[in-house]
Amino acid sequence: MRWNMEDLDFLNEEELAELERRTERLLSVWEIQNLRGNAAIFHDDQHIGEQRRELNALKHPGVDAESMLEARRKPVVDSLEGNMLIHPLTTPVIEVDETNTKARGVWWSLGLEGLSIHREKPMAILSIGMVPGVHVKEDGEWKILWGVWQRTTKNEYHAGWIDSMIPTNTRPPLTPEQDRKGFGRYAYQKDRVRCPVPQPPEPDTWEKYPDEWDQSWQKPASETFGLENEKSENKKTVEEKGEES
Amino acid sequence: MTEQERRKRQEKLLGKLNRLEAYHEIQNEMGRLTAAFNFHQKEKVLEHFALDLEDVSLEYADEGRFEGPAAVKAVLEELLGAPPKPGEMIDMQLTTPMIEVAEDGRTAKCVWWCPGAGAYTDNEGAHAVWLWGEIAVDFIYREEKWKVWHLHYFRLIKCAYEKGWVDDLSMINRPNTPMHPKSLPSTYHNPYSPLSIRDGIPCMPRPYRTYTAADRYWELNRDKR
Repeated sequence: MRWNMEDLDFLNEEELAELERRTERLLSVWEIQNLRGNAAIFHDDQHIGEQRRELNALKHPGVDAESMLEARRKPVVDSLEGNMLIHPLTTPVIEVDETNTKARGVWWSLGLEGLSIHREKPMAILSIGMVPGVHVKEDGEWKILWGVWQRTTKNEYHAGWIDSMIPTNTRPPLTPEQDRKGFGRYAYQKDRVRCPVPQPPEPDTWEKYPDEWDQSWQKPASETFGLENEKSENKKTVEEKGEES
Repeated sequence: MTEQERRKRQEKLLGKLNRLEAYHEIQNEMGRLTAAFNFHQKEKVLEHFALDLEDVSLEYADEGRFEGPAAVKAVLEELLGAPPKPGEMIDMQLTTPMIEVAEDGRTAKCVWWCPGAGAYTDNEGAHAVWLWGEIAVDFIYREEKWKVWHLHYFRLIKCAYEKGWVDDLSMINRPNTPMHPKSLPSTYHNPYSPLSIRDGIPCMPRPYRTYTAADRYWELNRDKR
C-alpha cells in the first residue's frame, strides 16, 4: 500500500520528525551498503585515470585528498589482462549515529583474485578478509571517509592458506616483513593465535567513540593483544585503492 | 477519515517502521555474534542468547540439540571454552539473509547461508578446511534488544581444503565418541556427500503474525508451497 499526504496529516510535528529521523537512518544503511558495493566494483575494475564518480569524502577535514588521488594514478600491474579482485561483502554490521551524518561499518569477505603483474600466466588467489570503515555525509551523499582491507588470508589457490601468503602487490614489491606490518598485520599465521580485530561496531559506538577518525572502536582495550597505541594511526593516510592489488 | 481510522493507519505505519528497524538490528546482532564466534569469544557469543528463557536452544550440526540456559552454556563451553591455539581459525560469514519479522514485532525467523574457511591443528601442524553451512535462528525481542532464542547450525561442507568436498568426507559426521551429556537428539543433519540429496532445509521463513508453539522447528518444513 502506498501512502499519500493525507495519511500523514494525523501526525503531530514531534511524531512526524521522529518518523522522518528513523526512516532516514534506515535509508542510510541501505545507501552505505550500495556505496560499499560500488567500491567493490571499482576495486575489481582497475583502470587507472578513468573518470569515475567519487566514492571518498575528499572534502572532509583531515582527508589528504591530494595523496589519495596521486596514489590512484600509480599502476601496480603492466596490463589488466588476467587481473581480478572479487571481494564480495558479507556479514554487515552498520551503526549510523543519531545525527545521521556518520556511520561505522564492518564487513567480512570471502573472495577470489587473479594476479598477473608482468603479463605472465595469472595466479589464482583465494582472498579472505574484512573491511572496517567509517562513512560520512558530504554534500548530502554518503561517502567513504576511510576503510582499509584487512587481510585474513591471501593464498595461491592450490597451496591453501596454511603455507601460502601472497604479499600486497606494490611497486617496489614489499618484503614479507613489510607486508606483515601493513595489510597483513592481522592475517592468519599458523604459529599465532588469531587477533580479534576488527570488532564490529556496537550500538553505542558513537557515544563511546564520537570522533570519526578514532579507530580504537575496532579493538577494545581489554582485547588488544598487544595492539595498544594504534589510535588514529591511519588518519589522513588511509587509501583503500591499491589494497591487495 | 475518522480519528479511529487514522489511528489504525498510524499504528500500521509505526509497525512497518519497527519491522524495518528490526530487519537492520537483527542483521547487526547476527553479524556481531558471528564475529564473536569467529574470534573465539565465548562470553560475547553468550551475550547474544536469551539466557533468561528456559527454552533457549542451540543445535550444532550433529552434536545434538541443547535446550535451556545451562545446556546452551555447556555446548558453547565445549565449542569455545578452551583457549584458542596458534594456527586455529574459524571464518564463517553471513550471506543471503532471509528474515521475517513477525507482524507483532516480538520475534523473527531468519536464515543465512554461510560460506566459511578454517584451520585446525594437530601433531602434524595446521590444516586448512572449508566450513560451509546454513544458520536458522529465531530471534526474540527482550528488554529492547533482539536476542537469539533458538539457533540451529546446519553443516553443509566440512572438508580438507586441498581435497575438496567431493573427495574428503572424513569430517562431515562426528566421530563415534560419547555425545555431550546435555545433548538431545539432533533434528536434522544432511551434509553434502556424493550420495546425499539436497532438500531445501533450512527452508525459507514465511511471513507470520505471531510466534506460536506450532512454529517451533519451522526451518525443517519440507512443504514448499
